[in-house]
Amino acid sequence: MKILLVGGGGREHAIAAALARSGREPRLYCLSELANPGIKKIVKRSGGEYYLGNTNDSEAVVLAAQKAGVDFVFVGPEEPNFHGVPDRLEEQGIPCIGANRAVSELEMSKASMRDLQWKYKIPGRLWYKKFKTFEEAVPYIEEYADSVALKPARQAGGKGVKVIEDFQVYLQEDKRKVKKEHAESIVREYMKGYDDIDYKLLIEERVWGPEYTVHCFTDGKTVIPMPAVQDNKHAFDGDLGLETGGMGSISCGMNLRWGVEDGRAILTDEEYRKSVEIVRMMIDSIQKETGKRYHGVVAGQMMLTSVWGPTVIEMYSRLGDPEAGNVLSVLKADIVEICEAIIDERLNAVRVDFEDKAVVVKAVCPEGYPNRRDMASGHPVRLKWNGDGILWASADLRDGRVFCGGSRVVECLGVGESIPEASARAERLTERVSLEDGWKLFHRRDIGSEKSMERRIALANMAREIYQYRERRGLLGKRMIWIPGKGLVEVG
Amino acid sequence: MAGILGIYLFDNRWNAYNFGVFGLMALQHRGQETAGLELFGEGRNKVSGKGLVEQVLTSGNMKGHVCVGAVSPYPAEDAEIQPISLSDRVSVAMDGKILKIDGYRWSGSTSYEENLRRAFSEQVKKSVDLDGLKSFFSGCRGGFSYVAVNENMDMIAGRGSLGVKPLVLGKMGFDGGIVASESCVMDIIGERVPISPAENIEPGEVRVFTTLSAHSELGVTSKRRAYCSFEYVYLARPDSYINDVPVYRVRRSIGKKLVEEGAVDADVVIGVPETAIPFAMAFSNETGIPVEKGFELTGRRVRSAMKPNQLERLKGVQLKLNVISEAVKGKRVLLIDDSVVRGNTLANIVYLMKEKGAKEIHVRIGSPHIVSHCPFGVEVPPEDELIGKHLPEDKIAEVVGADSFKYLSIDGLIESVGMSRKNLCLGCFNGHYPEV
Repeated sequence: MKILLVGGGGREHAIAAALARSGREPRLYCLSELANPGIKKIVKRSGGEYYLGNTNDSEAVVLAAQKAGVDFVFVGPEEPNFHGVPDRLEEQGIPCIGANRAVSELEMSKASMRDLQWKYKIPGRLWYKKFKTFEEAVPYIEEYADSVALKPARQAGGKGVKVIEDFQVYLQEDKRKVKKEHAESIVREYMKGYDDIDYKLLIEERVWGPEYTVHCFTDGKTVIPMPAVQDNKHAFDGDLGLETGGMGSISCGMNLRWGVEDGRAILTDEEYRKSVEIVRMMIDSIQKETGKRYHGVVAGQMMLTSVWGPTVIEMYSRLGDPEAGNVLSVLKADIVEICEAIIDERLNAVRVDFEDKAVVVKAVCPEGYPNRRDMASGHPVRLKWNGDGILWASADLRDGRVFCGGSRVVECLGVGESIPEASARAERLTERVSLEDGWKLFHRRDIGSEKSMERRIALANMAREIYQYRERRGLLGKRMIWIPGKGLVEVG
Repeated sequence: MAGILGIYLFDNRWNAYNFGVFGLMALQHRGQETAGLELFGEGRNKVSGKGLVEQVLTSGNMKGHVCVGAVSPYPAEDAEIQPISLSDRVSVAMDGKILKIDGYRWSGSTSYEENLRRAFSEQVKKSVDLDGLKSFFSGCRGGFSYVAVNENMDMIAGRGSLGVKPLVLGKMGFDGGIVASESCVMDIIGERVPISPAENIEPGEVRVFTTLSAHSELGVTSKRRAYCSFEYVYLARPDSYINDVPVYRVRRSIGKKLVEEGAVDADVVIGVPETAIPFAMAFSNETGIPVEKGFELTGRRVRSAMKPNQLERLKGVQLKLNVISEAVKGKRVLLIDDSVVRGNTLANIVYLMKEKGAKEIHVRIGSPHIVSHCPFGVEVPPEDELIGKHLPEDKIAEVVGADSFKYLSIDGLIESVGMSRKNLCLGCFNGHYPEV
């Protein structure tokens, strides 16, 4: 058995580790832009090879797959999906775990995703408006005085999203100004270079509540959900500061429990079940719309909101990073068997279980991340640890030394009986990483701490109380506005 | 005391000015004599002066995405208007007082602010910029909180290791952080997160904001805590959390405690606005004696007790507290005030109430007797002016013209705050201050 893994980040290190655990003892190959030292070690041990190249270039991927003569390809990141890498592989008769170009639209176009959600009346849909130009958006921003999320209409490496809470009328002028300026930079800067989509800007209603990701394996017919994971997007402790790709993630059981033997949880079983149902409906609708089969991983980036309960924020056409570390480290089934079942569309015949454990992943980043990658990259990394729990992320192995790639360099993974316990383990691992040139690393100490868990649960309770009130009154997802002189306007 | 504020916005498209203005308004109760705000952006610009926030901060064209500001109860004649310059490159807003600086000999012949500047200039000979700022404040001893910004637009904020003065951290989504004396600021200008709007900054903790990072560092730590108990009685807003304790909860507990310690038969409970109203409500809930609105205000809401001279204080009281006669006529009134400093304003209130026909007036005070001048900057006059230090309760009743008069006990205050005695500074009430 030979497998080619596409991508070289923390997520792909987690995937490589899971593949290497398979009883099928596959020979692993990897194609990525940087030489990830963790993946390289696994690849070497399995007898495979590590190729450097452009993962978005279908021809390069096909060439690597053919050169290695692999049985299938596992695509880690989203961009190769958007570039049609899985489609090209299938054309060449090489099976692939990865959303094809058509179905990956779920993630690539945030605008199409919302269109679909409204068309098929899938629960957890937010108000939104899409724009092709900045000029179109201006009157809307000026008129619509409310809290919004401004997003690039296309997935742009997780960058460019700005949430502006516009509640205090005495600060409205300032907020509108920034809304406008940011909308303009989304159109002119963040979307620059992406010509694979008509729409440029998406404006959505701003909602609050605890966020979580529900990943599923799917062969297009069967959907197998994985444990819910909560990522932490703010760069600094206490949910302060800039948006990042994810500073760390927590999980325990299927519904984000405090501990294995603990009744407290961020989600109820029912909310988890509803979230999975939403993801299933999204898969069905994109398949219906495109006539294409979904083979791979799909994830709902969800939030438990006061408006809907489980609500879709975005969709992923792949595993999240760092969430992949959470779900794959408790996966009891053989991932190679899952992949084969996906390829043969017989996923219904595979039993997939997850260990009942708490997992906390903490990303360690060089200072400068996320906004000054120039300052964050190039520093030599020292790791004093030979054991488990280290996922190499944006790291480049050159002549026996590892250098920062500019993003999260290492992900430290702790497992335990409760989230705070797993967090403490991950925390200890972070102490093993340093930079040889003395440049500073940072990570979030608070992820998975008791205090942070208490706050997340309190926040969930708050959102739950309001959405359940709406549910009882049959108002879930409905918004009513009294417009003086015009009357009652209902949407939803 | 003072109200201090620092705003650090990561994205320079934001202008922090209006956030600063409304943030300082939310702290106006901590100081009504002077106000000031300095913005850092492409350049530095500062507006400060005598008066309320809305009187001083009227310029519409100031710009910058980082700012430091303060409101202060000290008249401009007695102290430099905050934020003050620590050097040409550094501006700082401070609540409380620094009493000692490690390795520096305090000069009695020059001003407080000048002493800070001299000490700082000695420090920056050893380390500059952010490191210099950090080392300077880690050498300061006393009861204080601070927010400082330098020309590199590094912002640091923290509390002295005793934790006398409060300081909290709030957020503005992905766009920035806010540091302020009280959590109510976050409700007004921060992100509306439905659970606890602000995080308590721990004594000795230093919050650092730079273009690359926003993190917490542990500065000087001490096991001894001396949280100012007067914050809970009077200084803080009832919608704030001080040291993670909701102020309103403490004020309600104080009202209940007053029943326990000094119940008396009465027809109506009236609180002296604004601070004593929660005391009166809790007293009423506990006893079943109805609570009434006893006063109506003329003009602007001012904190009369914080006015620097007697005439101003009385003016404040008389304008603030016109007695509604229907509420008191022919009734036995249980009148609750938050504190008594000299007793003159209380005497005035009792007189006005009697004039409007109150049959009996029983005064209860939501704090113990004030006996000492605060070294950490709470405006308590010299000790020879303090009525509570010199007269017993029954004598005070006679002086103010009340039928009975009773303070809250110190134990009652401690129980109402709900912290252990050793973590509180009760100096105003017992003259014992923590060693700095």
